[in-house]
Amino acid sequence: MQRLKRGLRRETAGYFLIAPGLLLIAVILIYPLVRGVASSFFSSKQGSLDFDQFVGLKYFAELSRDRIFLTAMRNSILYTVVVVAGMYVLGLATALLLNKQFRGRAAYRSLVLIPWVVPGIAAAMTWKWMYSSQYGVINYVLQSLGLIGKNVDWLGNAHTALGSVMVTAIWKAIPFMAITMLAALQSIDMSLYEAARVDGASSFQCFRYITFTGIKEVSITTVLLQIIWTFNQFDLVYTMTKGGPSNSSQIIPVYTYLTAFNFFKLNKAAAIGVVGLLFVGVFAVWYIIRNNRGERA
Amino acid sequence: MTRNTRRRIAQKSGIYLAITLITIVLVFPFVWMVCTALKDRTEMFSAVPTFLPKRVTFENFRSMWYDYKFFNYLRNSLLVACSTTLVSLLFSTFMAYGISRFRFRGRTVVFDLLILTQMFPTPLLILTIYVTFAKLGLIDSHLGLVISYCTFAIPFATMMLKSSFDGLPVELEEAASIDGSGVLGTIFRIVLPISAPAIVAMGLFCFILAWQEFMMALTLIRTTEMRTLPVGIQMMVGFRDIMWGPLMAGTTVVTLPVVVLFIFFQKYLVTGMTMGAVKG
Repeated sequence: MQRLKRGLRRETAGYFLIAPGLLLIAVILIYPLVRGVASSFFSSKQGSLDFDQFVGLKYFAELSRDRIFLTAMRNSILYTVVVVAGMYVLGLATALLLNKQFRGRAAYRSLVLIPWVVPGIAAAMTWKWMYSSQYGVINYVLQSLGLIGKNVDWLGNAHTALGSVMVTAIWKAIPFMAITMLAALQSIDMSLYEAARVDGASSFQCFRYITFTGIKEVSITTVLLQIIWTFNQFDLVYTMTKGGPSNSSQIIPVYTYLTAFNFFKLNKAAAIGVVGLLFVGVFAVWYIIRNNRGERA
Repeated sequence: MTRNTRRRIAQKSGIYLAITLITIVLVFPFVWMVCTALKDRTEMFSAVPTFLPKRVTFENFRSMWYDYKFFNYLRNSLLVACSTTLVSLLFSTFMAYGISRFRFRGRTVVFDLLILTQMFPTPLLILTIYVTFAKLGLIDSHLGLVISYCTFAIPFATMMLKSSFDGLPVELEEAASIDGSGVLGTIFRIVLPISAPAIVAMGLFCFILAWQEFMMALTLIRTTEMRTLPVGIQMMVGFRDIMWGPLMAGTTVVTLPVVVLFIFFQKYLVTGMTMGAVKG
């Protein structure tokens, strides 16, 4: 009886400790998510999210005919694939270099982290200035190298706007990838390489069977997370192009936001958000399943 | 010189060349930002750009500070970021300690939930947050902003602190408990002091999160007097021309504190931030 009482008290204390944080999470994260999803099936007065009338899939049907939405979806997928692939390849390359023994390694490792430290808005504005059509340093450098004939309006041209933001996004994400991959590389047992050398394995075989196997699990986890985060990214596109010119660089998060706060169609915005949520949800569930499996093993 | 040594030297120089090239590309925009902020108008817009400013001027900083009211934004940002740090550290410490030390029903569900919240798309959440805050009178208030930032910071901070608390020996806390210390007393007198590095790292994480957040600040704050730095910077981008000089001075101001914090606490931050991904 005494033990049961103490056990109960400990359980109650646990609940009390998590209650404040959990309350905030429930009110500011979970309730808005649930209500956002629900309101995509209802219509309401402009500028509100009240459940005035159930309209079923009306907004989703509307979206399937909305050209801007279709562009945004295509762009979002393209943006996610290119940015995550870019940051993985370049981040891994940086990590492999930093994993070698050379003098000044610590200094390089600190310097490489700078893009990660620079706040998103500062990165966006600095790149906007570098991309500037008249005085931009990127135009100057590319012209000096003879790669372009005349100045390009990188962010103002429908063909280059999205690509230009992607470059900034990759630049910003390389450090995180590099440091994560470096940590994974350093956990590989060095004696495996020596054993492989003795057995006459080539450098490629060493990379393929030791290095790559060693970082495979971390790679999958990190890439899954980055797919989700990159798809949800808002700041760079919003501050650099606002999805323009003429929606050529429109992506789902920015289109959700503009539909809600520039056109005041909150229910339609919720529907756009829900489509994005479905895409992200697949990877989120995948991540959670992997995570729980790892925990039990 | 044997062939082997020659090969090794070639390999070493290859590594240096590659890593130097990558580092230059990664660092250049940051240096360019600071250099631009220190240049005068004629040098900034010259046909052949100079790298380091020929004549260092603080005119851009003066203009940013007085013409664009940056002292105002800076004060708001500091207020919001510091409050966020304190409140979210307190809440996440409680939560992390609760999950780490107490066996209660739904414990794993709570933990999975924390991970899942990291994947919620903010533009979808902000619709309801905006409508709800409007009803509660939390629009255009720093309190509303702090509440949302805390909520965004708590899940990650809790997960990181939990894994740090998991590594602490329970004996100390048991001893304190036998000596009649309550749960809160144990947290403040025993747990917090010995997990100082993790607390510092998560404090920095919360501060930086609030310091650089853009979307919520853009939506929930309506008047210029209440705006934070990131939105203040974005407001400088007009429809026709952009005042690049003061703008780059502004981005330098928002970047510098983060870089300084990073230099001092690099070790804590890096381990803290990558731990989550590596441990999976």
